[in-house]
Amino acid sequence: MRPLLLALALLAIPAAARADDDVSAPTAACPKGVLTLHLLKPQNNPPFPWQITAFEKDNPCIKMDIAEVPFGQLADKISVLAASGNPPDVVVYDGPNTQTYAASGILLPLDSYLPAGFKDDLVPATLIEHSYEGKLYSPGTQQTTLALFYNADMLEKAGIPTPPRELNKAWTWAQAMDAFKKCQQGEGDNVTVWGLAPSRFGAATPGFVYRDLPFLRTYGDPNAPVESSVYKTYFAVAPDGKTAQGWLNTPEAVEGATFFQGMFNTAKITPKAGIPNAFQDKKACFTLDTSYFIAGLVNNDPGFKWGVTPMPYAKTPIVHTGSITLGVMAKSRHKDEAAKFAVDLSTGKAAEEFARVQRILPVLKSVYPKIPELQQYPLNIFAQQLLQWGHPRPPSAKFAQYDKIVTDALRDIAYGADPKTRLDQAARTLQPILSR
Amino acid sequence: MAAFLGPFLLLLAVFQYWPVAQMVRDSLYDFELLNPGLRKFVWLENYLYVFTDPDRQQAFLVTFGFAAGVVATVIPTAFLLAAYLNGRLPARAVVRTIVFLPVVTSAVVIATMWTFLLEPNNGLVNSALSAIGLPRLAFLTSKAQALPSIILMMLWQQTGFATVLFLSGLQSIPAEVEEAASIDGANTAQRLWHVTLPLLARTTVFVVVMMTVFSLQAFAPPLIMTGGGPEGTTNFLAFDIYTLAFNLQQPGLASAVSVVFMLVVLAISLLQMRLLRARWNY
Amino acid sequence: MKPLRIIAGILVLLAICAFFLMPYAWIVASSFKPQLEIFRDVKPLSWRTFITLTPTLENFTQLFRLRGAGGAMVNSAIVSLCQVGFTLAICAPAAYALTRMRFRGANVVFALVLMTFLLPIESLMVPLYMTVAGLGLQDTLVGVFIPWIASPFGLFLLRQAFEELPRELDEAARIDGAGHFRIFWSVVLPNVRTALATLALVIFLFSWNAFLWPLVILSSPRNAVIQIAVAQSVAPGQLPNWGETFAGATLATVPLILLFLFLQRFFVRGIAMSGVKG
Repeated sequence: MRPLLLALALLAIPAAARADDDVSAPTAACPKGVLTLHLLKPQNNPPFPWQITAFEKDNPCIKMDIAEVPFGQLADKISVLAASGNPPDVVVYDGPNTQTYAASGILLPLDSYLPAGFKDDLVPATLIEHSYEGKLYSPGTQQTTLALFYNADMLEKAGIPTPPRELNKAWTWAQAMDAFKKCQQGEGDNVTVWGLAPSRFGAATPGFVYRDLPFLRTYGDPNAPVESSVYKTYFAVAPDGKTAQGWLNTPEAVEGATFFQGMFNTAKITPKAGIPNAFQDKKACFTLDTSYFIAGLVNNDPGFKWGVTPMPYAKTPIVHTGSITLGVMAKSRHKDEAAKFAVDLSTGKAAEEFARVQRILPVLKSVYPKIPELQQYPLNIFAQQLLQWGHPRPPSAKFAQYDKIVTDALRDIAYGADPKTRLDQAARTLQPILSR
Repeated sequence: MAAFLGPFLLLLAVFQYWPVAQMVRDSLYDFELLNPGLRKFVWLENYLYVFTDPDRQQAFLVTFGFAAGVVATVIPTAFLLAAYLNGRLPARAVVRTIVFLPVVTSAVVIATMWTFLLEPNNGLVNSALSAIGLPRLAFLTSKAQALPSIILMMLWQQTGFATVLFLSGLQSIPAEVEEAASIDGANTAQRLWHVTLPLLARTTVFVVVMMTVFSLQAFAPPLIMTGGGPEGTTNFLAFDIYTLAFNLQQPGLASAVSVVFMLVVLAISLLQMRLLRARWNY
Repeated sequence: MKPLRIIAGILVLLAICAFFLMPYAWIVASSFKPQLEIFRDVKPLSWRTFITLTPTLENFTQLFRLRGAGGAMVNSAIVSLCQVGFTLAICAPAAYALTRMRFRGANVVFALVLMTFLLPIESLMVPLYMTVAGLGLQDTLVGVFIPWIASPFGLFLLRQAFEELPRELDEAARIDGAGHFRIFWSVVLPNVRTALATLALVIFLFSWNAFLWPLVILSSPRNAVIQIAVAQSVAPGQLPNWGETFAGATLATVPLILLFLFLQRFFVRGIAMSGVKG
């Protein structure tokens, strides 16, 4: 049996051997040796190779070792590695999870590493998203919002006037609904063109918080008295992130959920099941998507004219913000260098260069005037929405759980569950989790 | 002796007994996977939650309801199919092979396949319903139809397995018994009911328990097809445990559900062994 | 009367075959079509739904080029073969000890093993994960198969086969002066080849089809096994592409179906014996 056990042990070595030293022997250029920093990031997301190369060029004594996972598994992977004895130094993670990670002590606060005035320069939504108990845990890399894309050829054929490009003229949901109905082709089982494309976010079912919770939040009003349910509806969770009861399931939220449900069940202008590439394949007139969607339409011409109009609203306009971002693991053995990496990539010329090359919405207000595209249609719609209407997804140290439970609730409502009962249930299920 | 049995027992201790012990311990704590070092001893609070929380009660209910549905559909289908295949048929081996194909296909592939078969807009089943003039159905997006849809899928998947077991049971029945019955003037249905079925009691018990256990372990269908919805109607326990631990970060609670679930399955399995040990006289 | 019955019989037979085969036919045919063609051909239903006259390999090449299906197939093969090999290597000696070596507590050992046979592994995921991660094996292929190689089912099946082997054989070898290792290796093993083959096939089947545990223990794409690749054949932020998903399902299924067609009797026997779990 001994050879067998030996074989097993040999197989296990590659796994255990990662505990090697991260610092090489000193060289002439690097008297302290070359340090290897471990970075965990989602596939097809920043930082991109050119950013890494640039950083390594400026810091010849640091080498980046990169591990990639699919975006969908990122959160699980981070929680696993955080608990293990050998975490990466830098992680790229989904911004709304900042508070979760901060609360469980996974992330390092970065305040002392950031240049003076950095916080004041941050877009407000990013500042809220990445702060926990007064400390900033991530400088942020990019932002995005959702807007309504439309197939201009189809709209013209249906006799719908060109939708507005200005935020102050944005459609209400009632106006949008009229357009969806007019543009839809076919009825019942034989719809050939849907008014609104199904969600491509999350698990390919309706309800994903990022896209669909604003349908409820827009029925709220941040200027109403703080104790009123209209006010609470707008925020969808208490400021301390510990109560959903009375914030998520207000009468106004139920009104919003009822409208949301109507799109699937009474007006039937959007399908309950996903259709891949519905917009590009001319199976839907409108779709809600992010600024990244523009690049796809520009690079692969869908063969029709398209346009973008601001996110419709009911009472108060609102868009969800948040994107993936950089953080430093609290357990990193090379905190200063890891923090330098995170900060260098997010400030100064590097931040500007990133926004210019990738055409993303920057997180620093000072970068906006320097990128002409951000002032021009269609990207200006996303940028203005971010600055004027942008709110983080409900901030909470238990956002991951909030996200899952509310997404399930909205999905069920889209499928036909009673909006009030289902929202009440979600608030009830959430309560013990949030208040822990 | 130690060289022969040692590795086996060592691995078993490390990967079965140790985790079971840990699970029982974890079920008494409140903690997060993100930070397992920070844990609070909560006595039996998690168990109290398992037995009082409506979501958990629903998970137990739908899981056992699902198992009952699978047993109630698979057993008669497979029995009739086996009786049919046991006759003198051309190409019996071919049919048996075809029926058995889903058994060697993975649960993931089957769940994926059926997600698309049952898709409301472009799925094959709705298309077939339209073709014969029936109304299209919502299937997995409907609270009332989701669970029956998954039962239908299990029927498709497991019938082959049950049929093969019944078939080998049927083939062990001495031909004289059947012949004697037909001489007594019994028709086919009577013969199946009065003669064949009682002789297959042992096989039937085995198949029933097997189907129950397979159904209780179902994980891929909720994960891939429904996410446990709509409204928790397909939130099977295996999936509920996974969600509680990994998505909702409540491994203590998940462990408590696991312990209860494990005890129930253990009880069913022991009942199986007891029943199987009993003798039926041929 | 007679011909009518035969025709009815054939119709029933065809209906049964169609019920079980149609989903496969649709999936496989569609995996050779572009997405829009899949949608077009399914409504209304016709022979085109199940056959394509202009097959394209686009979906498969996408899977191999962008989704790492090739790597996932290789990983699955490595994991399955290792699991088969180690299971045999661990279970066969244990079965030998239980049947050929007399020692106190043999029955207790067997009962202890049988108990684990009945545990639903689904409920063990969290602590098992902690255990394997504690050994530093999370996100490794070893971590995928190592918990299962001490298979109670394997022991059960081999013990049965070893029991049936006449003891006169090893008595004869013993008189010739052979020790336990020699008897095990050159007398017992060669005589239970069928049982070993059955076990190997069933373990291969379980291992290749395993999903929940690999999902829990693996995370990086380069370590993904084929079942995970199928379940997640979706680019981030995109709805599943039907053609690619079907191609993935086809890839994950074909090796097993081929194996099954050639070695049917082992499968049926082994699965019938497998009972509670894999």
